[in-house]
Amino acid sequence: MFANFKNKLCGALALLVMLTATAFADDPPPTPEELAKIKTANAECLTCHSEAGLKKPPKEGLDLKKLRNYLVDVDTYTASDHGQMACSKCHGDGYDKHPHAAKAKEGLSECQDCHARKAMRIERQFDKSVHAEHLSDSFTCSTCHDPHVMTLASKLRDPHKIVAQDNKICLDCHDSDLAFAKIAPEKKKRPPIDDIHSWLPNTRLHWQAVRCIECHTPTEDKLSLSHEILNKDKAEKKCATCHSANTSLNARLYRHLAKEEQNKYGFLNSVILSNSYVVGATRNPSIDWIVIGLFVATVVGVIGHGLVRIITTRMRRSKNHD
Amino acid sequence: MTNRVFMLPLWIRLWHWSNALAIIVLAVTGVSLHFSNPDLPLVEFSLAARIHNVAGVCLAGLYVVFVVGNIVTGNWWQYVPKPPGIIGRCLKQMQFYGSGIFKGEKEPFPPTPEVNFNALQAVTYWSIMYLVLPVVIATGLIFLYPQFAPDRLFGLDGLLPIALVHYLGAAAIVLFAVSHIYLGTMGPKVSSLFKMMISGWYEH
Repeated sequence: MFANFKNKLCGALALLVMLTATAFADDPPPTPEELAKIKTANAECLTCHSEAGLKKPPKEGLDLKKLRNYLVDVDTYTASDHGQMACSKCHGDGYDKHPHAAKAKEGLSECQDCHARKAMRIERQFDKSVHAEHLSDSFTCSTCHDPHVMTLASKLRDPHKIVAQDNKICLDCHDSDLAFAKIAPEKKKRPPIDDIHSWLPNTRLHWQAVRCIECHTPTEDKLSLSHEILNKDKAEKKCATCHSANTSLNARLYRHLAKEEQNKYGFLNSVILSNSYVVGATRNPSIDWIVIGLFVATVVGVIGHGLVRIITTRMRRSKNHD
Repeated sequence: MTNRVFMLPLWIRLWHWSNALAIIVLAVTGVSLHFSNPDLPLVEFSLAARIHNVAGVCLAGLYVVFVVGNIVTGNWWQYVPKPPGIIGRCLKQMQFYGSGIFKGEKEPFPPTPEVNFNALQAVTYWSIMYLVLPVVIATGLIFLYPQFAPDRLFGLDGLLPIALVHYLGAAAIVLFAVSHIYLGTMGPKVSSLFKMMISGWYEH
Protein backbone atom coordinates (compact mmCIF):
# COMPACT_ATOMS: atom_id res chain seq x y z
CA MET A 1 0.00 0.00 0.00
CA PHE A 2 2.79 2.36 1.01
CA ALA A 3 4.79 1.35 -2.08
CA ASN A 4 1.78 2.16 -4.25
CA PHE A 5 1.46 5.60 -2.66
CA LYS A 6 5.21 6.17 -3.09
CA ASN A 7 4.99 5.29 -6.78
CA LYS A 8 2.08 7.65 -7.29
CA LEU A 9 3.91 10.42 -5.44
CA CYS A 10 7.03 9.92 -7.55
CA GLY A 11 4.92 9.95 -10.70
CA ALA A 12 3.19 13.17 -9.66
CA LEU A 13 6.52 14.80 -8.81
CA ALA A 14 8.02 13.74 -12.16
CA LEU A 15 5.01 15.19 -13.96
CA LEU A 16 5.32 18.41 -11.97
CA VAL A 17 9.03 18.72 -12.79
CA MET A 18 8.29 17.98 -16.45
CA LEU A 19 5.51 20.57 -16.64
CA THR A 20 7.64 23.17 -14.87
CA ALA A 21 10.56 22.42 -17.14
CA THR A 22 8.41 22.61 -20.26
CA ALA A 23 6.99 25.90 -19.08
CA PHE A 24 10.57 27.07 -18.56
CA ALA A 25 11.54 26.20 -22.12
CA ASP A 26 8.44 27.95 -23.43
CA ASP A 27 9.01 31.15 -21.43
CA PRO A 28 7.95 34.32 -23.24
CA PRO A 29 10.85 36.24 -24.83
CA PRO A 30 12.51 38.80 -22.56
CA THR A 31 11.39 42.43 -22.64
CA PRO A 32 13.83 44.97 -24.16
CA GLU A 33 14.87 46.02 -20.63
CA GLU A 34 15.50 42.41 -19.59
CA LEU A 35 17.38 41.80 -22.82
CA ALA A 36 19.65 44.81 -22.16
CA LYS A 37 20.42 43.43 -18.69
CA ILE A 38 21.15 39.98 -20.14
CA LYS A 39 23.47 41.49 -22.74
CA THR A 40 25.39 43.41 -20.09
CA ALA A 41 25.72 40.32 -17.90
CA ASN A 42 26.77 38.14 -20.84
CA ALA A 43 29.31 40.73 -21.98
CA GLU A 44 31.06 40.24 -18.67
CA CYS A 45 31.47 36.49 -19.38
CA LEU A 46 32.58 37.22 -22.94
CA THR A 47 35.43 39.46 -21.83
CA CYS A 48 37.26 36.16 -21.35
CA HIS A 49 35.17 33.58 -23.29
CA SER A 50 35.55 35.06 -26.78
CA GLU A 51 38.24 35.33 -29.44
CA ALA A 52 38.81 38.93 -28.34
CA GLY A 53 39.15 37.79 -24.74
CA LEU A 54 41.65 35.15 -25.74
CA LYS A 55 43.72 37.68 -27.69
CA LYS A 56 43.57 40.32 -24.97
CA PRO A 57 42.93 38.55 -21.68
CA PRO A 58 41.44 40.98 -19.14
CA LYS A 59 43.36 39.32 -16.36
CA GLU A 60 46.85 38.04 -15.97
CA GLY A 61 47.62 34.42 -15.26
CA LEU A 62 44.69 32.92 -17.17
CA ASP A 63 45.16 29.39 -18.52
CA LEU A 64 44.75 30.39 -22.16
CA LYS A 65 45.10 26.83 -23.45
CA LYS A 66 42.11 25.80 -21.37
CA LEU A 67 40.20 28.96 -22.19
CA ARG A 68 40.54 28.24 -25.92
CA ASN A 69 38.17 25.28 -25.45
CA TYR A 70 35.45 27.44 -23.93
CA LEU A 71 35.02 30.27 -26.41
CA VAL A 72 31.67 31.53 -27.64
CA ASP A 73 31.14 33.40 -30.88
CA VAL A 74 28.84 36.20 -29.81
CA ASP A 75 27.11 36.63 -33.20
CA THR A 76 26.46 32.90 -33.57
CA TYR A 77 25.23 32.72 -30.00
CA THR A 78 22.92 35.72 -30.35
CA ALA A 79 21.37 34.19 -33.49
CA SER A 80 20.98 30.78 -31.84
CA ASP A 81 17.92 29.43 -30.03
CA HIS A 82 19.43 30.32 -26.65
CA GLY A 83 20.73 33.68 -27.84
CA GLN A 84 18.41 35.70 -25.64
CA MET A 85 19.30 33.84 -22.47
CA ALA A 86 21.75 34.92 -19.82
CA CYS A 87 24.82 32.70 -19.53
CA SER A 88 23.95 32.34 -15.84
CA LYS A 89 20.69 30.58 -16.72
CA CYS A 90 22.70 27.40 -17.35
CA HIS A 91 26.06 28.32 -15.85
CA GLY A 92 24.68 28.97 -12.36
CA ASP A 93 26.35 28.45 -9.01
CA GLY A 94 30.10 28.70 -9.00
CA TYR A 95 30.36 30.56 -12.29
CA ASP A 96 29.59 34.04 -10.98
CA LYS A 97 33.16 34.74 -9.87
CA HIS A 98 36.56 34.10 -11.36
CA PRO A 99 38.30 31.77 -10.86
CA HIS A 100 35.12 29.66 -11.14
CA ALA A 101 34.43 27.24 -8.32
CA ALA A 102 36.15 23.89 -8.72
CA LYS A 103 32.84 22.04 -8.71
CA ALA A 104 30.94 24.61 -10.80
CA LYS A 105 30.62 22.18 -13.70
CA GLU A 106 28.61 19.80 -11.53
CA GLY A 107 25.96 22.46 -11.10
CA LEU A 108 25.66 23.15 -14.82
CA SER A 109 22.06 22.91 -15.96
CA GLU A 110 21.24 19.95 -18.12
CA CYS A 111 19.14 20.12 -21.26
CA GLN A 112 16.29 18.14 -19.74
CA ASP A 113 15.99 20.71 -16.95
CA CYS A 114 14.18 22.87 -19.49
CA HIS A 115 13.40 20.41 -22.28
CA ALA A 116 12.03 17.54 -20.20
CA ARG A 117 9.23 16.36 -22.48
CA LYS A 118 11.42 16.50 -25.57
CA ALA A 119 14.28 14.80 -23.75
CA MET A 120 12.06 11.87 -22.73
CA ARG A 121 10.99 11.28 -26.31
CA ILE A 122 14.49 11.74 -27.68
CA GLU A 123 16.09 9.48 -25.09
CA ARG A 124 13.97 6.55 -26.20
CA GLN A 125 15.13 7.09 -29.78
CA PHE A 126 18.74 7.76 -28.80
CA ASP A 127 18.91 4.52 -26.78
CA LYS A 128 18.53 2.59 -30.04
CA SER A 129 21.12 4.66 -31.91
CA VAL A 130 24.62 3.68 -32.93
CA HIS A 131 25.97 6.39 -30.64
CA ALA A 132 24.26 4.83 -27.60
CA GLU A 133 25.56 1.42 -28.60
CA HIS A 134 29.20 2.55 -28.50
CA LEU A 135 29.22 5.65 -26.33
CA SER A 136 26.20 5.55 -24.02
CA ASP A 137 28.15 6.92 -21.04
CA SER A 138 29.94 9.83 -22.60
CA PHE A 139 27.49 10.89 -25.32
CA THR A 140 25.19 13.71 -24.27
CA CYS A 141 22.90 16.14 -26.08
CA SER A 142 25.68 18.72 -26.26
CA THR A 143 28.08 16.25 -27.90
CA CYS A 144 26.16 17.10 -31.06
CA HIS A 145 24.00 20.09 -30.16
CA ASP A 146 26.20 22.91 -28.97
CA PRO A 147 23.68 25.01 -27.01
CA HIS A 148 25.62 28.16 -27.92
CA VAL A 149 25.21 27.49 -31.63
CA MET A 150 22.09 25.46 -32.48
CA THR A 151 19.06 26.94 -34.18
CA LEU A 152 15.93 24.91 -34.77
CA ALA A 153 15.40 23.86 -38.38
CA SER A 154 11.90 25.33 -38.20
CA LYS A 155 13.49 28.72 -37.48
CA LEU A 156 16.24 28.42 -40.10
CA ARG A 157 13.75 27.26 -42.77
CA ASP A 158 16.30 27.65 -45.59
CA PRO A 159 17.34 24.04 -46.41
CA HIS A 160 20.90 25.16 -47.28
CA LYS A 161 21.33 26.64 -43.80
CA ILE A 162 19.74 23.61 -42.13
CA VAL A 163 22.03 21.24 -44.06
CA ALA A 164 25.13 23.31 -43.28
CA GLN A 165 24.32 23.41 -39.56
CA ASP A 166 23.32 19.78 -39.16
CA ASN A 167 25.99 18.18 -41.35
CA LYS A 168 28.69 20.21 -39.62
CA ILE A 169 27.73 18.40 -36.41
CA CYS A 170 28.28 14.97 -37.99
CA LEU A 171 31.31 15.93 -40.07
CA ASP A 172 33.10 17.70 -37.23
CA CYS A 173 33.72 14.25 -35.77
CA HIS A 174 33.32 11.88 -38.70
CA ASP A 175 35.50 13.90 -41.08
CA SER A 176 38.37 14.45 -38.63
CA ASP A 177 40.59 11.73 -37.15
CA LEU A 178 41.54 14.03 -34.30
CA ALA A 179 38.02 14.94 -33.26
CA PHE A 180 36.79 11.38 -33.76
CA ALA A 181 39.54 9.94 -31.53
CA LYS A 182 38.58 12.34 -28.73
CA ILE A 183 35.10 10.81 -28.41
CA ALA A 184 35.27 7.33 -29.92
CA PRO A 185 36.01 4.24 -27.84
CA GLU A 186 39.65 3.24 -27.72
CA LYS A 187 40.91 1.34 -30.79
CA LYS A 188 37.85 2.40 -32.78
CA LYS A 189 39.11 3.83 -36.06
CA ARG A 190 37.24 6.56 -37.86
CA PRO A 191 35.23 4.99 -40.69
CA PRO A 192 36.46 6.27 -44.07
CA ILE A 193 33.32 8.18 -44.93
CA ASP A 194 34.28 8.98 -48.52
CA ASP A 195 34.90 5.29 -49.30
CA ILE A 196 31.76 4.17 -47.50
CA HIS A 197 29.67 6.64 -49.47
CA SER A 198 31.37 6.03 -52.82
CA TRP A 199 28.15 4.39 -54.07
CA LEU A 200 26.44 7.77 -53.71
CA PRO A 201 27.01 9.77 -56.92
CA ASN A 202 28.57 13.20 -56.34
CA THR A 203 28.93 12.35 -52.66
CA ARG A 204 30.16 15.69 -51.37
CA LEU A 205 27.54 17.55 -53.41
CA HIS A 206 24.88 15.35 -51.83
CA TRP A 207 26.26 16.35 -48.43
CA GLN A 208 25.83 19.99 -49.34
CA ALA A 209 22.25 19.46 -50.44
CA VAL A 210 20.84 17.00 -47.89
CA ARG A 211 21.58 16.08 -44.31
CA CYS A 212 23.37 12.93 -43.18
CA ILE A 213 20.31 12.20 -41.03
CA GLU A 214 18.08 12.04 -44.14
CA CYS A 215 19.47 8.51 -44.59
CA HIS A 216 20.97 7.78 -41.18
CA THR A 217 17.66 7.87 -39.27
CA PRO A 218 14.67 5.55 -39.81
CA THR A 219 12.69 6.74 -42.82
CA GLU A 220 9.48 4.94 -41.87
CA ASP A 221 8.53 7.75 -39.51
CA LYS A 222 7.15 10.40 -41.81
CA LEU A 223 6.13 12.80 -39.04
CA SER A 224 9.34 13.59 -37.23
CA LEU A 225 13.06 13.05 -37.44
CA SER A 226 14.32 10.49 -35.00
CA HIS A 227 17.46 10.69 -32.85
CA GLU A 228 17.98 7.00 -33.58
CA ILE A 229 21.13 7.49 -35.66
CA LEU A 230 21.66 4.39 -37.80
CA ASN A 231 24.98 2.92 -38.77
CA LYS A 232 25.85 2.15 -42.39
CA ASP A 233 24.21 -1.29 -42.34
CA LYS A 234 20.84 0.07 -41.30
CA ALA A 235 20.94 3.45 -43.06
CA GLU A 236 18.67 4.16 -46.02
CA LYS A 237 20.25 3.17 -49.32
CA LYS A 238 17.24 3.27 -51.59
CA CYS A 239 17.77 6.34 -53.76
CA ALA A 240 14.08 6.38 -54.72
CA THR A 241 13.14 7.25 -51.14
CA CYS A 242 14.14 10.80 -52.06
CA HIS A 243 14.27 10.45 -55.85
CA SER A 244 10.58 9.86 -56.58
CA ALA A 245 7.39 11.86 -56.92
CA ASN A 246 6.45 10.95 -53.34
CA THR A 247 9.86 12.03 -52.04
CA SER A 248 10.56 11.70 -48.34
CA LEU A 249 12.40 15.04 -48.50
CA ASN A 250 9.02 16.71 -48.11
CA ALA A 251 8.55 15.12 -44.71
CA ARG A 252 12.19 15.68 -43.74
CA LEU A 253 14.47 18.47 -44.90
CA TYR A 254 11.63 20.44 -46.51
CA ARG A 255 8.99 19.76 -43.86
CA HIS A 256 9.10 23.37 -42.66
CA LEU A 257 8.41 24.55 -46.19
CA ALA A 258 6.00 21.75 -47.07
CA LYS A 259 2.99 24.08 -46.88
CA GLU A 260 4.52 26.45 -49.40
CA GLU A 261 3.97 26.39 -53.16
CA GLN A 262 4.30 22.79 -54.34
CA ASN A 263 3.34 23.25 -57.97
CA LYS A 264 5.29 26.30 -59.12
CA TYR A 265 5.44 26.36 -62.95
CA GLY A 266 3.61 23.02 -62.86
CA PHE A 267 6.53 21.13 -61.28
CA LEU A 268 5.95 18.47 -58.66
CA ASN A 269 7.66 19.23 -55.33
CA SER A 270 8.59 22.69 -56.64
CA VAL A 271 9.48 23.78 -53.10
CA ILE A 272 12.55 21.52 -53.42
CA LEU A 273 13.29 22.96 -56.84
CA SER A 274 14.01 26.34 -55.30
CA ASN A 275 17.18 24.74 -53.89
CA SER A 276 17.90 21.52 -55.76
CA TYR A 277 16.88 19.65 -58.89
CA VAL A 278 16.18 16.12 -57.64
CA VAL A 279 15.91 13.60 -60.49
CA GLY A 280 12.63 11.71 -60.19
CA ALA A 281 11.15 14.12 -57.63
CA THR A 282 11.07 17.57 -59.21
CA ARG A 283 9.40 16.86 -62.52
CA ASN A 284 6.67 18.42 -64.57
CA PRO A 285 3.69 16.09 -65.16
CA SER A 286 2.40 18.19 -68.10
CA ILE A 287 5.71 17.88 -69.98
CA ASP A 288 5.84 14.17 -69.05
CA TRP A 289 2.36 13.59 -70.50
CA ILE A 290 3.25 15.43 -73.72
CA VAL A 291 6.41 13.29 -74.11
CA ILE A 292 4.52 10.07 -73.30
CA GLY A 293 1.77 11.12 -75.76
CA LEU A 294 4.29 11.77 -78.54
CA PHE A 295 5.98 8.44 -77.87
CA VAL A 296 2.68 6.53 -77.96
CA ALA A 297 1.63 8.42 -81.12
CA THR A 298 4.95 7.52 -82.82
CA VAL A 299 4.71 3.84 -81.84
CA VAL A 300 1.04 3.63 -82.86
CA GLY A 301 1.90 5.54 -86.06
CA VAL A 302 4.63 3.15 -87.16
CA ILE A 303 2.59 0.06 -86.20
CA GLY A 304 -0.41 1.46 -88.12
CA HIS A 305 1.75 2.34 -91.12
CA GLY A 306 3.27 -1.15 -91.04
CA LEU A 307 -0.15 -2.82 -90.90
CA VAL A 308 -1.43 -0.79 -93.85
CA ARG A 309 1.74 -1.77 -95.76
CA ILE A 310 1.16 -5.46 -95.00
CA ILE A 311 -2.50 -5.28 -96.01
CA THR A 312 -1.88 -3.30 -99.24
CA THR A 313 1.03 -5.60 -100.19
CA ARG A 314 -1.19 -8.69 -99.75
CA MET A 315 -3.99 -7.06 -101.69
CA ARG A 316 -1.61 -6.28 -104.55
CA ARG A 317 -0.21 -9.80 -104.51
CA SER A 318 -3.66 -11.43 -104.64
CA LYS A 319 -4.64 -8.99 -107.42
CA ASN A 320 -1.52 -9.97 -109.41
CA HIS A 321 -2.41 -13.66 -108.92
CA ASP A 322 -5.85 -13.01 -110.33
CA MET B 1 18.89 -10.92 -110.41
CA THR B 2 19.94 -8.79 -107.45
CA ASN B 3 22.53 -6.09 -107.73
CA ARG B 4 24.99 -5.55 -104.89
CA VAL B 5 26.73 -2.31 -104.18
CA PHE B 6 29.12 -1.59 -101.29
CA MET B 7 27.88 1.38 -99.30
CA LEU B 8 29.11 1.46 -95.73
CA PRO B 9 32.70 1.06 -94.50
CA LEU B 10 33.35 -0.94 -91.34
CA TRP B 11 33.96 2.05 -89.05
CA ILE B 12 30.53 3.52 -89.77
CA ARG B 13 28.81 0.20 -89.13
CA LEU B 14 30.71 -0.38 -85.89
CA TRP B 15 30.01 3.18 -84.77
CA HIS B 16 26.32 2.86 -85.72
CA TRP B 17 25.65 -0.29 -83.73
CA SER B 18 27.67 0.83 -80.70
CA ASN B 19 25.80 4.11 -80.79
CA ALA B 20 22.49 2.27 -81.10
CA LEU B 21 23.31 0.07 -78.11
CA ALA B 22 24.38 3.06 -76.01
CA ILE B 23 21.19 4.94 -76.87
CA ILE B 24 18.94 1.96 -76.02
CA VAL B 25 20.72 1.51 -72.66
CA LEU B 26 20.54 5.25 -71.98
CA ALA B 27 16.86 5.40 -72.89
CA VAL B 28 15.89 2.50 -70.60
CA THR B 29 17.96 3.74 -67.66
CA GLY B 30 16.95 7.36 -68.33
CA VAL B 31 13.26 6.43 -68.15
CA SER B 32 13.99 4.53 -64.90
CA LEU B 33 15.61 7.62 -63.40
CA HIS B 34 13.19 10.26 -64.60
CA PHE B 35 10.03 8.27 -63.82
CA SER B 36 11.58 6.77 -60.68
CA ASN B 37 8.99 4.92 -58.63
CA PRO B 38 10.09 2.75 -55.69
CA ASP B 39 7.03 0.53 -56.09
CA LEU B 40 7.47 0.00 -59.82
CA PRO B 41 11.14 0.26 -60.76
CA LEU B 42 12.09 -0.48 -64.37
CA VAL B 43 15.77 -0.57 -63.37
CA GLU B 44 16.57 0.08 -59.69
CA PHE B 45 17.60 3.74 -59.26
CA SER B 46 21.21 3.43 -58.12
CA LEU B 47 21.93 0.71 -60.71
CA ALA B 48 20.23 2.81 -63.39
CA ALA B 49 22.29 5.85 -62.36
CA ARG B 50 25.56 3.92 -62.59
CA ILE B 51 24.70 2.36 -65.97
CA HIS B 52 23.43 5.69 -67.30
CA ASN B 53 26.68 7.42 -66.32
CA VAL B 54 28.89 4.78 -67.96
CA ALA B 55 26.76 4.56 -71.10
CA GLY B 56 26.61 8.36 -71.29
CA VAL B 57 30.39 8.66 -71.25
CA CYS B 58 30.56 5.91 -73.92
CA LEU B 59 28.07 7.85 -76.05
CA ALA B 60 30.18 11.00 -75.71
CA GLY B 61 33.27 9.00 -76.76
CA LEU B 62 31.37 7.53 -79.71
CA TYR B 63 30.33 11.01 -80.74
CA VAL B 64 33.97 12.04 -80.91
CA VAL B 65 34.63 8.95 -83.09
CA PHE B 66 31.70 9.97 -85.29
CA VAL B 67 32.89 13.55 -85.75
CA VAL B 68 36.55 12.67 -86.28
CA GLY B 69 35.67 9.76 -88.60
CA ASN B 70 33.40 11.99 -90.65
CA ILE B 71 36.05 14.68 -91.01
CA VAL B 72 38.82 12.23 -91.90
CA THR B 73 36.81 10.24 -94.45
CA GLY B 74 34.80 13.15 -95.83
CA ASN B 75 31.61 11.30 -94.88
CA TRP B 76 30.25 14.49 -93.25
CA TRP B 77 29.16 15.65 -96.70
CA GLN B 78 26.51 12.90 -96.75
CA TYR B 79 24.67 14.60 -93.88
CA VAL B 80 24.51 18.03 -95.43
CA PRO B 81 21.03 18.78 -96.79
CA LYS B 82 21.68 20.01 -100.30
CA PRO B 83 19.59 22.64 -102.01
CA PRO B 84 18.30 23.47 -104.59
CA GLY B 85 15.02 21.60 -104.71
CA ILE B 86 15.49 20.08 -101.29
CA ILE B 87 11.94 20.93 -100.19
CA GLY B 88 10.51 19.36 -103.32
CA ARG B 89 12.59 16.20 -102.76
CA CYS B 90 11.50 16.06 -99.12
CA LEU B 91 7.84 16.37 -100.14
CA LYS B 92 8.29 13.66 -102.75
CA GLN B 93 9.85 11.40 -100.12
CA MET B 94 6.95 12.13 -97.72
CA GLN B 95 4.50 11.38 -100.46
CA PHE B 96 6.22 8.03 -100.97
CA TYR B 97 5.98 7.19 -97.24
CA GLY B 98 2.41 8.48 -97.05
CA SER B 99 0.91 6.83 -100.11
CA GLY B 100 3.39 5.58 -102.74
CA ILE B 101 4.65 2.71 -100.64
CA PHE B 102 1.09 1.41 -100.21
CA LYS B 103 0.69 1.35 -103.99
CA GLY B 104 3.92 -0.58 -104.49
CA GLU B 105 5.79 2.38 -106.00
CA LYS B 106 9.57 2.32 -106.07
CA GLU B 107 11.68 4.34 -103.59
CA PRO B 108 12.05 7.77 -105.32
CA PHE B 109 15.66 8.34 -104.16
CA PRO B 110 17.31 4.97 -103.49
CA PRO B 111 20.72 5.06 -101.78
CA THR B 112 23.86 5.14 -103.88
CA PRO B 113 27.51 5.13 -102.80
CA GLU B 114 27.67 8.82 -103.73
CA VAL B 115 24.40 9.85 -102.07
CA ASN B 116 23.59 7.60 -99.11
CA PHE B 117 20.60 9.53 -97.82
CA ASN B 118 17.45 10.89 -99.37
CA ALA B 119 16.71 14.57 -98.65
CA LEU B 120 14.40 13.80 -95.70
CA GLN B 121 17.01 11.51 -94.15
CA ALA B 122 19.75 14.12 -94.62
CA VAL B 123 17.68 16.84 -92.92
CA THR B 124 16.65 14.55 -90.04
CA TYR B 125 20.04 12.93 -89.51
CA TRP B 126 21.81 16.26 -89.68
CA SER B 127 19.43 17.76 -87.06
CA ILE B 128 19.74 14.77 -84.75
CA MET B 129 23.47 14.22 -85.09
CA TYR B 130 24.68 17.82 -85.22
CA LEU B 131 22.04 19.63 -83.15
CA VAL B 132 20.13 17.41 -80.73
CA LEU B 133 22.72 14.76 -79.81
CA PRO B 134 25.55 17.19 -78.96
CA VAL B 135 23.15 19.17 -76.76
CA VAL B 136 22.02 15.99 -74.99
CA ILE B 137 25.65 14.91 -74.51
CA ALA B 138 26.74 18.34 -73.25
CA THR B 139 23.84 18.60 -70.79
CA GLY B 140 24.47 15.01 -69.73
CA LEU B 141 28.10 15.82 -68.96
CA ILE B 142 27.01 18.81 -66.89
CA PHE B 143 24.58 16.47 -65.09
CA LEU B 144 27.56 14.22 -64.40
CA TYR B 145 29.48 17.18 -62.95
CA PRO B 146 26.65 19.37 -61.60
CA GLN B 147 29.13 21.73 -59.96
CA PHE B 148 29.51 23.27 -63.44
CA ALA B 149 25.80 24.03 -63.73
CA PRO B 150 24.72 27.60 -62.98
CA ASP B 151 23.99 27.93 -59.27
CA ARG B 152 20.56 29.50 -59.61
CA LEU B 153 18.33 30.63 -62.46
CA PHE B 154 15.05 32.56 -62.12
CA GLY B 155 14.90 31.73 -58.41
CA LEU B 156 15.17 28.00 -59.08
CA ASP B 157 18.05 25.56 -59.03
CA GLY B 158 20.42 26.16 -61.96
CA LEU B 159 20.39 22.48 -62.88
CA LEU B 160 16.70 22.70 -63.86
CA PRO B 161 17.21 24.14 -67.40
CA ILE B 162 20.06 21.66 -67.98
CA ALA B 163 17.82 18.80 -66.85
CA LEU B 164 14.89 19.99 -68.97
CA VAL B 165 16.96 20.37 -72.15
CA HIS B 166 18.57 16.97 -71.50
CA TYR B 167 15.17 15.34 -71.00
CA LEU B 168 13.50 16.92 -74.04
CA GLY B 169 16.53 16.29 -76.28
CA ALA B 170 16.68 12.68 -75.15
CA ALA B 171 12.94 12.32 -75.77
CA ALA B 172 13.45 13.64 -79.33
CA ILE B 173 16.21 11.07 -79.89
CA VAL B 174 13.98 8.23 -78.61
CA LEU B 175 11.16 9.33 -80.95
CA PHE B 176 13.69 9.51 -83.79
CA ALA B 177 15.02 6.03 -82.89
CA VAL B 178 11.52 4.49 -83.07
CA SER B 179 10.86 6.02 -86.49
CA HIS B 180 14.42 5.26 -87.63
CA ILE B 181 14.07 1.54 -86.83
CA TYR B 182 10.74 1.42 -88.64
CA LEU B 183 12.03 3.31 -91.68
CA GLY B 184 14.79 0.68 -91.79
CA THR B 185 12.15 -1.69 -93.15
CA MET B 186 11.53 0.53 -96.20
CA GLY B 187 14.25 -0.94 -98.41
CA PRO B 188 13.65 -3.11 -101.50
CA LYS B 189 12.91 -5.88 -98.98
CA VAL B 190 11.98 -5.42 -95.32
CA SER B 191 15.41 -6.75 -94.31
CA SER B 192 17.55 -5.04 -97.02
CA LEU B 193 18.59 -1.97 -95.07
CA PHE B 194 19.26 -3.92 -91.85
CA LYS B 195 21.49 -6.29 -93.83
CA MET B 196 23.26 -3.29 -95.36
CA MET B 197 23.88 -1.84 -91.90
CA ILE B 198 25.54 -5.15 -90.92
CA SER B 199 27.44 -6.19 -94.06
CA GLY B 200 27.88 -2.81 -95.72
CA TRP B 201 26.39 -4.14 -99.00
CA TYR B 202 23.16 -2.78 -100.44
CA GLU B 203 21.18 -5.36 -102.36
CA HIS B 204 18.48 -4.22 -104.71
